Amino acid sequence: MEDGMSSDEDYYSDRDSLDGLENEDSEFHCTPPKGPTTKVITKESLLAAQREDLRRVMDLLSLREHHARTLLIYYRWDVERLFAVLVEKGKDFLFDQAGVTVVEHQGLESPLGSTITCDICMDDVPSGETTREDCGHCFCNNCWTEHFMVKINEGQSRRIRCMAHKCNAICDEAVVRNLVSKRHPDMAEKFERFLLESYIEDNKRVKWCPSTPHCGNAIRIEDDEFCEVECSCGMQFCFSCLSEAHSPCSCLMWELWAKKCRDESETVNWITAHTKPCPKCHKPVEKNGGCNLVSCICGQAFCWLCGGATGRDHTWSSISGHSCGRYKAEREKKSERAKRDHYRYMHYYNRYRAHTDSFKQESKLKEIIQVRVSITEERDSRLRDFSWVNNGLLRLFRSRRVLSYSYPFAFYMFGDELFNDEMTKEEREIKQHLFEDQQQQLEGNVEKLSKFLEEPFDQYSEDKVMEIRMQVINLSVITDTLCQKVYECIENDLLGSLQYGNHNIAPYKSKGIEKASELTACWKANDSDKYPPSDCGASELDRPSGSGSSDESGCSSRKRARKDSPGGGLFDLNLPAEVIDRN
Amino acid sequence: MIDFGRVQKELQECSRDMAASGIKVSPKSDNLARLVGTIPGPIGTPYEGGTFQIDISLPDGYPFEPPKMQFATKVWHPNISSQSGAICLDILKDQWSPALTLKTALLSVQALLSAPEPDDPQDAVVAQQYIRENQTFLATARYWTESFAKASSLGVEEKVQRLVEMGFAEAHVRSALEAVGGDENLALEKLCSG
Ligand SMILES: [Zn+2]
Ligand SMILES: [Zn+2]
Ligand SMILES: [Zn+2]
Ligand SMILES: [Zn+2]
Ligand SMILES: [Zn+2]
Ligand SMILES: [Zn+2]
Ligand SMILES: [Zn+2]
Repeated sequence: MEDGMSSDEDYYSDRDSLDGLENEDSEFHCTPPKGPTTKVITKESLLAAQREDLRRVMDLLSLREHHARTLLIYYRWDVERLFAVLVEKGKDFLFDQAGVTVVEHQGLESPLGSTITCDICMDDVPSGETTREDCGHCFCNNCWTEHFMVKINEGQSRRIRCMAHKCNAICDEAVVRNLVSKRHPDMAEKFERFLLESYIEDNKRVKWCPSTPHCGNAIRIEDDEFCEVECSCGMQFCFSCLSEAHSPCSCLMWELWAKKCRDESETVNWITAHTKPCPKCHKPVEKNGGCNLVSCICGQAFCWLCGGATGRDHTWSSISGHSCGRYKAEREKKSERAKRDHYRYMHYYNRYRAHTDSFKQESKLKEIIQVRVSITEERDSRLRDFSWVNNGLLRLFRSRRVLSYSYPFAFYMFGDELFNDEMTKEEREIKQHLFEDQQQQLEGNVEKLSKFLEEPFDQYSEDKVMEIRMQVINLSVITDTLCQKVYECIENDLLGSLQYGNHNIAPYKSKGIEKASELTACWKANDSDKYPPSDCGASELDRPSGSGSSDESGCSSRKRARKDSPGGGLFDLNLPAEVIDRN
Repeated sequence: MIDFGRVQKELQECSRDMAASGIKVSPKSDNLARLVGTIPGPIGTPYEGGTFQIDISLPDGYPFEPPKMQFATKVWHPNISSQSGAICLDILKDQWSPALTLKTALLSVQALLSAPEPDDPQDAVVAQQYIRENQTFLATARYWTESFAKASSLGVEEKVQRLVEMGFAEAHVRSALEAVGGDENLALEKLCSG
């Protein structure tokens, strides 16, 4: 689906360039000319990010900036929808809805030196101390300021309505800025920020990066909200639900799974299914065998069914001197069920964990491999290029990631919780076999790949190294294809036939989670005369260093991000955040 | 801070055309932040002939924030709580505009008495009755007007106010008056004896 992937395939068909793939330099060749469409918006580029949308609306409707902003805020920065309303319902409707008035009121201006009665404070005020909004309503500056302050404090900066009763007009942001800054400069700043951040807060294409502590960035996507992105701070997340990247799990599945892992309800269930507190010393006692008379290490005997203390004698059907009538009670069934559910959960959980834990081991391999590479390079050998090891490792990490999240997916896909009503038992079994078959193939090849990558190739002969190299390259291609197939299977064979409206899965990215590129501000924020026709961030890579951008903030933030990005471009650790945290 | 200059002007303006509007606003004490509004029940409604008192308290941000209004007189109406007197009216919430005044707000409350909006109820029980058994609703509303909003019941409010001004808590004053059957002197004795 993604451009990068098809170029991946092209490279694999060409043996010479294969080794060079994902070399630090090759990143530049691989980047499609368009560049990644996902953008990082920093504090510095926030203004630039919205310029383009503002410009389009201003140009099309011949509007001033604050009117364009009011329209865009009302339409939640959805330019296409705004234009659609314009075509369908006309300009007047569009403006009216959003509270934009573009009528000029020159005729109403009062001569200088006269006074006006302000309807709010009911005082006579010199006309020079009053302000008339675009809607024609005029009040004194003090009253306007008070009104703005109350609204900003209420968090309504983005849509401050005129003070007149039933007037739907939105106040000119320049008037707000001007009047508020005279008396409360700090509030004016707050207003400014709220206004700018509307582009993030009210925009479904833009979301704050969920990193903690917050990196200050937001991410803008181009079309599909169901995708996974990486912020320039290194945070990888699901754009749709803002938790860690979790495909091929759907957001709902992941939410349920994370919750399940979090509360120890499973453990609690297990303990209730397997142990009971002794009525005397209150230690949990495990049941041994089928007998319902259990005894604690303290010597107390008790009835497993009701928990009551008893004597030590019993027959198959009763405990002497004790009758609780619970021998065939409901509870047995209930605890059996809890036990079964727990085993099922543990089955999936253990495999999910096994893959995240393997990653932990394998990430240590990274350093070991660097050492092996430099040892081998020392030797006088025709082996010059070792990118195959690094690429193999990247492939291993990505595939581990897919495998790991495929277990919680399977837990819900084939469990009772979500799709019980949508599949018959037989359908479910068929689907489960299909999926597990794919999953096992992937698993097998991932383990093989892992094994070859662990070989101490620095101690091997050249021929042996060449053989390992071939294996690693082949297995890399195979696991990539198998990952792709797992996603396809989920989309087409498993969810495709169901009414799965809320189970959208971010697409598989062969090259790993897309790194959002910094939006480069190519013009000064206050240089309102020169807007480039479109976002110029894409040309960032082609630009010779030191030329182009006159915006210092844009450049510095880009540099900062490059330097800070983890792994120095060699490794992108596409694994659960918890795993990365643990390292 | 409350714009007391404006409140003063509002009060003057209001008393100037009281004869025409029937709307009265007076301060509860020296502090202009607490006031009492009085509106006549609209003609042709079950509230006709009643005089309704509304407690008004002004927030610090007045007039940039809406005044808080609550019926002090018990009233049977879908948008007014029969328990607390709370009013469900948009201009007292998000539709408030600083250009509105206490008088215009009270006029809107009066208009609400004429035109209930059972779809946006404050009192669900009353709203249900308004929709399902309108005749019963009208009878109850009329009865409440008779019992609580007529001159006789207004006398009680004046007694309450006098006793409150003597320094007793309003809730105590009311229960004392109720206990002694409305006799102001007996109530005072009762309040003094604790
Ligand atoms: Zn004023
Ligand atoms: Zn206006
Ligand atoms: Zn970030
Ligand atoms: Zn998600
Ligand atoms: Zn014990
Ligand atoms: Zn036994
Ligand atoms: Zn028992």
